[in-house]
Amino acid sequence: MIRIHYLEKEYDNGFLALNGINLHIAKDEFVYLVGSSGAGKSTLLKLLFSVEKPTSGDVFIDSVSLKTLPSKQIPYLRRNIGVIFQDFKLLPRRTVFENVAFALQVMHYQRYRIRKQVTQVLELVGLQEKMSNFPSELSGGEQQRICIARAIVNNPPILLADEPTGSLDPDTSWEIMQLLSKINARRTTVIVATHDKGIVDDIRKRVVALENGRIIRDSELGSYN
Amino acid sequence: MFGDSFFFISEAFTSLKRSGIMIIISIATIAVSLIVFGVFLLLTANLNNIAEFVTSKLEIRVYLNNSMTVSEIQNFKTEIAEMPSVKSVEFISKDIAWDVFKKSFQKLELNDLVGINPLPDSFKVSMYNGREVKKVAKYLEDKFSGYVDDVGYTGHIAERIEMLAACAKYGGLGLVVFLTLATLFIIVNTIRLTVLARNDEIEIMLLVGATKYFIRGPFIIEGFIMGVTGGGAAVSFLYFFYLLFATKIQETIPFFPLVFDKDKLNSIYAVVLLLGAVLGTLGAYISVSKSLSYENMRIRK
Ligand SMILES: Nc1ncnc2c1ncn2[C@@H]1O[C@H](COP(=O)(O)OP(=O)(O)OP(=O)(O)O)[C@@H](O)[C@H]1O
Ligand SMILES: [Mg+2]
Repeated sequence: MIRIHYLEKEYDNGFLALNGINLHIAKDEFVYLVGSSGAGKSTLLKLLFSVEKPTSGDVFIDSVSLKTLPSKQIPYLRRNIGVIFQDFKLLPRRTVFENVAFALQVMHYQRYRIRKQVTQVLELVGLQEKMSNFPSELSGGEQQRICIARAIVNNPPILLADEPTGSLDPDTSWEIMQLLSKINARRTTVIVATHDKGIVDDIRKRVVALENGRIIRDSELGSYN
Repeated sequence: MFGDSFFFISEAFTSLKRSGIMIIISIATIAVSLIVFGVFLLLTANLNNIAEFVTSKLEIRVYLNNSMTVSEIQNFKTEIAEMPSVKSVEFISKDIAWDVFKKSFQKLELNDLVGINPLPDSFKVSMYNGREVKKVAKYLEDKFSGYVDDVGYTGHIAERIEMLAACAKYGGLGLVVFLTLATLFIIVNTIRLTVLARNDEIEIMLLVGATKYFIRGPFIIEGFIMGVTGGGAAVSFLYFFYLLFATKIQETIPFFPLVFDKDKLNSIYAVVLLLGAVLGTLGAYISVSKSLSYENMRIRK
């Protein structure tokens, strides 16, 4: 599903954020991306959905090279990759329903399908009661769930999550991770960048550890350290 | 794509409603710059009208030798009338000329002062083009020096008017380009404010896979609505004030050649409205495109 090949990323200011990354991630896999702050986790995720271009090396998603992907194709790539942002990126003046429906409108879905799929996904994340509320009326964990609902509402084959439990209490974090496992079980590739030692050690999955832009460890059902 | 247009239009109206006072200020700004543009168009149209009017009054007076016979006069008249730049030739006999002259200066009681008619026979030659007056006058004077006593023409004024009209045309063209660009600049910056207010929304749309076309849609509709509204306001303003102004002038100087032709005025108002629509749409396109890039977006942590 995802093949990363001698990937290097140098930012415009000359900072080398990723250095010689090689990584294969199969369909259905659940991968934790761990490492201290500044290790390059977010940078790697940004390269995966083409917010940044590789400096050298390449990323292949379903054999499509992101290095040579024309700009015009980027929206279509992104429709295959759901992203959960740490700061949620919700629209404050739209309801929960509208925030999720937004992603489908962008993809030209018809109205009856939007209604059907949004209702289903809000049930899956347990927000069916809060459909008409505004994000500011919801708790942090609930907002995180809107973000998850929006990321998976069109059943993309890949789901990226950047520190999805960053600002949540342990119980809520655990619930969110259960939800991500459930999504993974529906045959979605899930990659989670996280600092959360407790979660990584508790819910065991493949762990890829980064340090100064390099992979220092890659272990099946590994622990945080 | 029908579903998209529905989405674009409803988004555009939501955004217009949300922007409130901002949108009124923007539309007023657009209206003001279109009014300046329209005033300029009206001025140019009137200047052309005046130039045309004055040019149409241009004529050459050919004063004839007293010794010419009737058939010579007739032949000469035909010869002048056949020149391509001549519109018409009218024979003014010295008697008629004398009567007209006396009528114009009734107070002088000329009959008592001057016993015999001192005026010669003449031709009144009207031209198609004011520019030709000098050339034709000179030609007649040289070629027919045997018949002609003198040739008078209003050439100096003709040349000036022609020059003024040319200046208005070319200088005006430059000014039109400048005003159009200035209006576009104002619209771009006005809509830019509503774009900036929604930058977060644009960023999220791009991240969830929206194409640039899809994001531009509502803004372009919004720009179009603003442009048309501003244009409509400008046209209403121009319409009423031109009417007021032109009527006032006509009360003071009854025969001043102002433009009153409905078709001409309507086409000027149509241009202003159309310009509003085009500039609103184009301005929105430009200002939203500045915010659209699939890459190098900041993803805040
Ligand atoms: N746009 C940028 N321009 C220049 N340098 C950048 C840019 N974005 C990130 N960096 C640098 O690249 C390095 C890796 O950043 P990245 O955001 O990938 O780290 P991270 O592993 O996600 O850290 P954290 O756990 O704190 O989120 C950091 O040192 C950061 O300063
Ligand atoms: Mg990060």
